[in-house]
Amino acid sequence: MAETVVQLPGTPAAHPGARSGAFIRRHRLAPYLLLVPALAGLALVYFWPLTAMLLYSFQNYGLPQVTGAAPVQWIGLGNFSSTFADSEFWLSLRITVVFAAVVVPLSLVAGTLVGLLLNRLGPKMSGFVAIAALLAWATPPVAGSVLFYWLFNPDGGLVDWTLSKMPHWLVGSTNWAGYNWTTTGALQAYTVLTVLVVWTSFPFIAVSVLAGLKTVPAELYEAARIDGASPWRVFWRITYPLLRPIFLVLLLLSVIWDFNIFTQTYLLTGGLANRNEFNLGLYIYDKGFTFPPSYGLGGALAIIFTLILLIVTLGYVRSAVRQGALT
Amino acid sequence: MKGVVKQFHKDFPQYKNTKVVVDWIPWTNRTTDWTNALTSGKGGPDITELGNTDTPGVAAEGALANITSEVKAWKPGSEIISGNLANDTISGSNYAVPWFGGVRGIWYRKDQFAAAGITSAPTTWAELTADAKKLMAKYPGTYGLGAPSDYTNAIVSFIWGAGGQVAVQKGGKWVAELNTPQSEAGIKFYADLLLTEHVSPSKYIGETELGAPGATSGGSDEDFAKGTLDMYIDGPWAESSLEAVSTKYESDWASFPIPSENGPNPAPAFAGGSDLGVWAKSPNKTASWDLISVMDNPSNATTFANLQGFFPEFTSALSGGKYSGSAVMSGFAKAAAYTQISPLNSKNWATADATDAIIPTMMKSLMQGASFTATVTKANTELQNVLNTGSES
Repeated sequence: MAETVVQLPGTPAAHPGARSGAFIRRHRLAPYLLLVPALAGLALVYFWPLTAMLLYSFQNYGLPQVTGAAPVQWIGLGNFSSTFADSEFWLSLRITVVFAAVVVPLSLVAGTLVGLLLNRLGPKMSGFVAIAALLAWATPPVAGSVLFYWLFNPDGGLVDWTLSKMPHWLVGSTNWAGYNWTTTGALQAYTVLTVLVVWTSFPFIAVSVLAGLKTVPAELYEAARIDGASPWRVFWRITYPLLRPIFLVLLLLSVIWDFNIFTQTYLLTGGLANRNEFNLGLYIYDKGFTFPPSYGLGGALAIIFTLILLIVTLGYVRSAVRQGALT
Repeated sequence: MKGVVKQFHKDFPQYKNTKVVVDWIPWTNRTTDWTNALTSGKGGPDITELGNTDTPGVAAEGALANITSEVKAWKPGSEIISGNLANDTISGSNYAVPWFGGVRGIWYRKDQFAAAGITSAPTTWAELTADAKKLMAKYPGTYGLGAPSDYTNAIVSFIWGAGGQVAVQKGGKWVAELNTPQSEAGIKFYADLLLTEHVSPSKYIGETELGAPGATSGGSDEDFAKGTLDMYIDGPWAESSLEAVSTKYESDWASFPIPSENGPNPAPAFAGGSDLGVWAKSPNKTASWDLISVMDNPSNATTFANLQGFFPEFTSALSGGKYSGSAVMSGFAKAAAYTQISPLNSKNWATADATDAIIPTMMKSLMQGASFTATVTKANTELQNVLNTGSES
């Protein structure tokens, strides 16, 4: 049913809706009102759990507290101090940092090289390479991990079988048949994980770099070639400076992703059984959720992890903003 | 279970219309399921099976109903092996009853022993390694005795078998004893099966007896069934999974108890097993207990245990030489006479062994070549802290 509101000139708005509309207009509230539903949703699913986690991190919150079998106690910084006193926390932090320090440059270099290659290939070939690479990127982490689990399986895995067939002068005298890659040590396990993570993360970098390359005017390269610049020089003097913002974003994203690796390490290193192969994600999950769960300790660890990630990424963001690359 | 439910309906006519739903869940999912049921307050069972090492911890989390008066009034209760019933008691209250039990021993093959000239099962550690080497010499390409590093329940037998203890209670406090000379002898012997004796392959580092944790294939059980591992430590319940891999050598499978350092009696075996408890949040606690009393009466419990390769918990059912006739079961029945459970039933054991994996991590570090004294001392300190406070530091 249509409703017609007749407003006579000179008389103030007769009904309350119009008056509040004026209020909203005068105070420019419309944008905020439009944000309210989204904020309410976020508050419910994000801010409230976040607050609860913050509170738990100063408590002994676990199952007995959930069921009411034992009272909730405030333990101050107890969860934090016991974490910093745990040598396994430092080991998992070291593994996480070293792993990211290896995987981030490797995937950036591999991705950039493939991006450059794609830019030079003809349409058919570049389509083929791009699809092959993107399939690796589209592989779900679980499927990729299971694939690598079978490749590196000590009981008939393809890698062990191949290595055992190779001459000793090439692959060393290790008894490769039945070599256990995933649970006998962090170095072996993270070697496999490095291959797996680089394999799944380089295609995204390659495609991003390719997108950037398409925006670089061809005249620049032409001029450089006429001046006799080597490809190495062309890359560092033309491509890199122009794509610098893209590289910074990719670096930032890669650091965050590689710090957060969980699925692959969980599946390949045997769940939560091999503590000296934990990265931070596994460490937090083990402390927080293995029976009997300790939600307080898990909350404290999540806060520590977030702060570490903020420190690592803030440095890059700051330098990026200062150089004007992101603005 | 069908027969049990029929009997339940007959013995308790008031429940003749009660439907009993049995939910089989994978053993490794049990703690996740309990946690979910406890935190959501929904989807909890009326009755749950628990590992006997789980019971004290789960009861401490407030998950189980106090069934002290029911157990006191229950007639077969007096026939249960008393130590195992005591395991389910916390400060004088009962939270579960034992359902069936089992011990680990060493699986071997009669044909291999005969071919290698081994006439009787080893009863000392020296004989055990000597026999492992004889088997490896006779069967090149095989390993003598599997020693996975993630295998607390077997490693403790070697600690106890040298006269050591994992931890003891003194004045109401736990004192960890991994670094006594006896315990260290047991730990060293197990690690040396790989390091100096080379009778166990290095691929078992970081693995459980069933392979990489969480994996569904590989591991010492498969190797034994396939014939590439000569002796394998596990309980009689492994038989069905061994058969699933291969039945080629099945007729030659047999067992003997884990030897102690100097014999002649076996090393104490960890008294594993399962309990039945009533869920604290169950709306049908009385009916639940009544059903347990039927499931766990001597005849039903014995039938169920035998079906699964376990032993019943009733002294009457264990005596009478019923198990000595079977090659597989006789060794385990011998081992069942020498058992220990403490401190694997202490309240914080789940944290020590599942969350913090103290003994597996220690054994793995040793097998990777870490310094012996420093590694054992570190594990000992962590264990003592966890058992007393629930936290490593």
